[in-house]
This record gives sequence, structure tokens and C-alpha cells, in this order.
Amino acid sequence: MSLLEFINISKSFSGVQVLYDISFSIEKGKLFALVGENGAGKSTLMKILCGILNEYQGDIKLNGNKIIFNNPREAENAGITIIHQELNLVAELSVAENIFLGREPTNRLGFIDFKKMYAEAEVLLRRFDFPFSVETKINKLPIGWQQMVEIAKALRLKAEIIVMDEPTSALSENEIKFLFEQIAQLKKSGKTIIYISHRMKEIFEISDEVITLRDGRFVGKYSTSKINQDFLVSKMAGREIKTDRVRKQYHSTEQLLSLNSVSVIGSNKKILSELSFSLNCGEVLGIAGLLGAGRTELLKFLYGTDNSGFNGEIKFLGELFKPTSPTKSIKNKIIYLSEDRKGEGIFAELSNLKNGSISILPKISRLGFIQKKNEYKVVTKKVNELNTKMDSIFQKITNLSGGNQQKVLLSRVLLINPKLLLLDEPTRGIDVAAKQEIYELIDKLKAEGMGIIFTSSEIPELLSVTDQILVLAEGKQKALLETEKTNSVEILKYAFEE
Amino acid sequence: MKVEFSSILSKNEWLKPVLGFVGLFALCTLFSPVTGKGTKIFIKFDNLSNVLRQVSEIGIISIGMTLVIITSGIDLSVGSVLALAATLTAFGIMDWQLGFWLTIIIVLFAGAFAGFVSGALISWGKIQAFIVTLAMMTGARGFALFISDSNSRNIGFGQNAAPEIFKIFTTSFFGIPFPVFVFVLVAIIFSVILRKMRLGRHIYAIGSNEEAARLAGLRVNWIRTSAYVFSGLLAALSGIIHSAQLYQGNPNDGVAFELDAIAAVVIGGTSLQGGKGTMEGTIAGVLIIGILSNILGLHGIQKDFQLMLKGAIIVSAVLLQEGNLRFSFFRK
Repeated sequence: MSLLEFINISKSFSGVQVLYDISFSIEKGKLFALVGENGAGKSTLMKILCGILNEYQGDIKLNGNKIIFNNPREAENAGITIIHQELNLVAELSVAENIFLGREPTNRLGFIDFKKMYAEAEVLLRRFDFPFSVETKINKLPIGWQQMVEIAKALRLKAEIIVMDEPTSALSENEIKFLFEQIAQLKKSGKTIIYISHRMKEIFEISDEVITLRDGRFVGKYSTSKINQDFLVSKMAGREIKTDRVRKQYHSTEQLLSLNSVSVIGSNKKILSELSFSLNCGEVLGIAGLLGAGRTELLKFLYGTDNSGFNGEIKFLGELFKPTSPTKSIKNKIIYLSEDRKGEGIFAELSNLKNGSISILPKISRLGFIQKKNEYKVVTKKVNELNTKMDSIFQKITNLSGGNQQKVLLSRVLLINPKLLLLDEPTRGIDVAAKQEIYELIDKLKAEGMGIIFTSSEIPELLSVTDQILVLAEGKQKALLETEKTNSVEILKYAFEE
Repeated sequence: MKVEFSSILSKNEWLKPVLGFVGLFALCTLFSPVTGKGTKIFIKFDNLSNVLRQVSEIGIISIGMTLVIITSGIDLSVGSVLALAATLTAFGIMDWQLGFWLTIIIVLFAGAFAGFVSGALISWGKIQAFIVTLAMMTGARGFALFISDSNSRNIGFGQNAAPEIFKIFTTSFFGIPFPVFVFVLVAIIFSVILRKMRLGRHIYAIGSNEEAARLAGLRVNWIRTSAYVFSGLLAALSGIIHSAQLYQGNPNDGVAFELDAIAAVVIGGTSLQGGKGTMEGTIAGVLIIGILSNILGLHGIQKDFQLMLKGAIIVSAVLLQEGNLRFSFFRK
């Protein structure tokens, strides 16, 4: 009998459907790897399971009984715990205090019973040969051991199902080995584990079964011993390019940007290493890669947002180029549109008009005074060109839907008449129609001779919009492919390469 | 009709505090004490011009504070900078014999410099505004005490003393005291900057979303610093007026002025979270506090009660502006 059943789970975020009728079941005492591209719906599904998201269609059954969790705490009480990629520990508290956070043992007067807490924490951690005192502060622990504290926390809650979201992303080789030993122990003691990972090697090393999602749909559940990596990649990629869109080519021979073995060094480690590619006017370069592959870092580096040093050679319009600051980049007609619309894009308190004009104010003001008529004219023209739907341009931007907000932001960046446009996931979180319009816009801009670098988590999108695709993995250039001659399976293969 | 009114209110942020001021003004008129002849004291020209004179110092400081708060910062140093400016003015004119114009230029420069130091430490040093301006508040006060040897310095007129032109600050034109003209002029200049100029737009933008502003190509650090420079400059201007009104530079004056200025800004509808607020609102906030203490004074109500009422006004003004009150009380 299955321990946990998902029955027809569907979920949408503000009109955009992200999960479609997902149904599968998992059995007790096994380790299930949950795999899929970025945006396939893995995290959303797990958030539903753990009570973080609670509005969805469909049913979840635990031991045959339907369960509804209003919050993570209820899920924890039912024995389901998630260990997030970003650990949820309080740095300033001790190991024991973290394990018992929110559920501290108390004495009759309501004071925390520290003796009991420390004793119980030690019992929980004994199985890991925990080398520190339980009174050690969390921030004194190496990251690998912090992970063990998270697991101890789950065990203390008598968790039967433990979800681990990319637990190895911050661990060293040795720590990973140790973690896997502990996971094996957990399995032996009858715990069920759902393991989200992008690392093929790990998936084949520790999982019993693999569950594949693609574009919010369930693809299949396979016994790990019966499949190989190529099979899995093809299942994740699945859908081939829609050919209804004819990709136009305009690239001139004029070189816009070229990187020659460029490495970027952040505060303590290399963020990007050995990148070499070139982009002509009227050409679109797509950047593929998993989360943390360095896509955003590359665009932001080219835009000059962080002043980290770099090695190698960058040429822009035939001349040596060094990105220094967004202000300078805009003068050079390079502009960046962030993937994080709310955090780094819109000014929530300001109107559509002011959001659109912010980067061209020097051009439309005289002696420091903004020429309001001119401002109104140019911004209105641009937002209309992009077919932005709004009641009034004087309304706050937050009244618009995600897609229309994105169009206002696109107007902002296009108004500077860029030569090089850096678009970071411009279609994230917007509806299908708006996506189509953005593809058409990109085609049009190509025709005008603009060079565009475009990142996306959706490979079909990259295949239909770009001329070349650069595949990154962990900051390294894995492949530079001609879009004409590649397919999603090949791209994913490189993206998962280690 | 009601719908239209509420949409006008939400489109024009400055309208709420201004309407609040108008309403309060009407109430004050209604409940004004009456002279033997039957005229209402509150709306007598002399009384109103006196109110304006009294609020002009805090008013000028509040204008600088508005800029800083819109950038989502805070400037706690303005009271101390005012005291420093007042002290420098007295010493510049009386002891150092710098003359009128040079003294004023030096004092204004000192205020702007204090603001620049705060702004630069916040922007490039990445220290919280609260901490930096708290330090500046302490430091500027200390410096004022240092140059004055902890004594107030009288400004005298007549032979071998302050130039006659210094009296302009205590002169009235058309029955209106000169500081009021300064206040009005400064208010106009800065509301134009906020509404019409690029700098104003940039100040709103960095207060609304600093990272987005940086990515949009704005020089965030310089813009933020300029707000603090203006705040220091205006605090110094207010300090000059302060010393001229009292005929002395006292290093111990101006205590808690920053809090009065913050109160006026907040009553005027500017959000401490930044990105939102108007100069018109701040002026209304300044006037609301001004006429309130005036009417209470006219009725002979003591300071203790005035302060309690002021506390209540600050909270209720913000509750009304945010419009949270009705919802939370009636929805559940």
C-alpha cells in the first residue's frame, strides 16, 4: 500500500497555471528523487505537501486518509517535514535551541527546561556522531553539520516523510558522502525521503525511484536501477520545439560584443569562469542553465552592477570594454532588465509613467526640470507600441498584471535605445499571450539591429527565440550551441554536466 | 459622488493632510476665545502671523526632513545642527567679526557639510541612517559646546556689535515677520524640486526601490547624500533664524527639534518606509501642530496637556492616512 498519494493536484498563481493534474504515489521506506527542469513544478508541489501553499485543486492522501494542512506546523505534526535549500536555522541560537525552536520543553512555571532540552538534543544527535556540544551556536558550525541539525530537527518531530530540497548544493565532497551515509541510515529506520536534486550523479547514487515532472505535469515514475541518465534527460526535456514560429535571422556581420576567456572573481570565489562567446548586431544569444548556474551573475556582471574584478578580454563595438556601473552602461547603450520584477524592477509607489521614464530623465529634462509633456509623449508612445493594457498612465504600476508591469519595464529599457539588451528571464510569471508578444518584440528588435542576451529556464523558449545558446553550469561554460543545430535534450545534457 | 471623492483623495496624496489642516482651522475658529468686542482672537491677523513665525523654524527643518524621509532615511541631527548654527552665527558676528554675509555663508556651509558627512557615511559606509545621524546629533552638539565653552553668546546691537542688517530677521514686512517669508520661499523651492525636477523624482525612486533605482542607472549614493546635504543646510538656516529671534547663540537649544520635525512630516502623510510623501503635506503637518498649540495656548491649557494631545494627533493622523482604521475595526 502506498504511504502518500497525490491525486489530480493542480495549482495556479494569479491566473498562470503551474501544476496540471499531478497524480502519483510513493511507498514507505524508499528514497524518491524528484527531478525536472527549473519551473517544472517540483518546489510548488513540495510546498503544497508541506502546508506552505494551501490553495490548490486535488487531494493528498496519507495512509489512505485525505489530509489538508493549513500551515507547515500541521504538516510537521502529521510527520511531514521539509528541509529547505536555504537552511532555516537561527544563527545566534544554540544547536539544541534550534532543534526545539517553537516547541521548547518547559517546566511548570513556563520557563524553558534547558537541562531536559540539552539531554534530548544529545540523544537525537548521537546517531550522527555529532562532534560539537549541543550548546554551540549554529553559526560556529560548518554548513554540513548545520544540515545534520536540520535533520535532527525533523527526527525530533517524529517525521516519517522528509523532503530535502537540494541538500548538497552547499556541501563539500566529504560532507556529501557523510550526508548520504546518514540518509541511508534514515532509510533503514523506515523513513521515507523525497529528494530534490539537479545532480544526476547523486540521483543515480542514492535514489530508489525517480519521479519526473515537466512543465507542471507528471511524466513518469521509474525504478532507478532500470534507467540511465540519457533516458532521464529525454524524459525531462520531452516536448520538442513548436515550429509554428519562424525564427527570423537578421544578424549583420558587425560584431557587438565579444568575451574572450573571461572569468569573474567575486568576494571569495570565482563566480564565472572562462567564458568565451561573441554576439553580432541583430543577434540573440540565449543563456541556459539550472538555478545557480550563473546566468543572472553573467548579465549583471556585463551591466556593471558589482565591481568584482575579472580576467580576460571584453570587447564592445570593437573596443576594449570594462563594465563599471549601470549609469555608465546606460551611456554606452547597454541596459539590463532584472528577473526579479518586484525586488529590482518596479517602483511600487510610483505611476506607470514615472516607472517608464526613470532611465531617460536626463534626456527629457532641461536645467534639471522634467519636461512633463515630453515625458508623457514618449512614454505613452512606447507603452502603446508594446500593447500595454492600463486604465491610466498616471496609475500606480502595482495596479497592473505581471505581464503589463513587465511591458512597462520593457518600455523603460527600450526608451534608452539600447544597442545591447540584457533580458533576465523576461517571461517569468507572465501569461502565455504576453509571452508571445515578448517573443515578437524580440524579433522586431533584432530586425532593428539590436543585440540581445536572453536568459530563460524554459528551453523551448530559448530554442524559438535565440540564434545561439550558451549553456552554463556552476559558472562554467559547458557549451556554445547554434540554435538551428541543437535540441532540448542536448542542452539539458550540458546543463546537468558536472 | 462619494466614489469620485475617494478616488481624488487617493490620486492626490497631499490632499488628506491639507484637508485635515483646513478642518482643524475651521474648528479652531469656531472654538476661539472671543475678545470683549466680540472678535475671535484666533483669526486675528496678529495671532495668525505669530503662529507662522513660531512654526517657521521647525517648518524649515521639516522640509529637509521630508526629503530625507522620502529616501527612506532619517536625520536625527537637525536639532544639534541648529544649535551649532545658532552658536556659530553668534560667534561669527560678535567675536570673530566676520560680518553678516560671510557669517551666514560659513554657517550654511557648516550645516551642509554636516549633512554631507552623514549622507556619505550612510551611502558609501553602508551604516544605518539612524546610527549615523545619532552620532552626528551627539557630535554636532559637542562641537557647539566646544566653540562656545558651553555658554550661550548674546548678540548685541549698537556700537561695536552686530550689523544693523542682522535685524532683518526680527523685522516684519506688511505685518508678517521676515522668517515667515524665508519659510514660504524655502517651501516653494523644495516643493518645486520634488514635483518638477529630476532630483525630486530620483529621491522618490531610491526611497521606493533602491535596487531598481540602481539598475535603472541612477547614482543612488549621490542622490541620497544630496538629501542629507539639504537637510543639514536647512537646519543651519533655521539655526540662523533661531539665534536672530533670541538675540543669542545657545549651544543647548534645539533639543528634540528633530522629533517635532519628524512628527510634522509624518502628520503630513510621508511614509517612514520611503518613496511616498509630499512637501504640501509636510507644510500642512507643520501648520496643524502650530495652530493646535496656539489654540490650546489661547485657552490657557498647559504644556503637559498639549504634549499628550500632540501624541494623540500624531497617531490618529497616521491611522487616518493609511486608512487602516475603518477596515480593521469593521471588517472582523
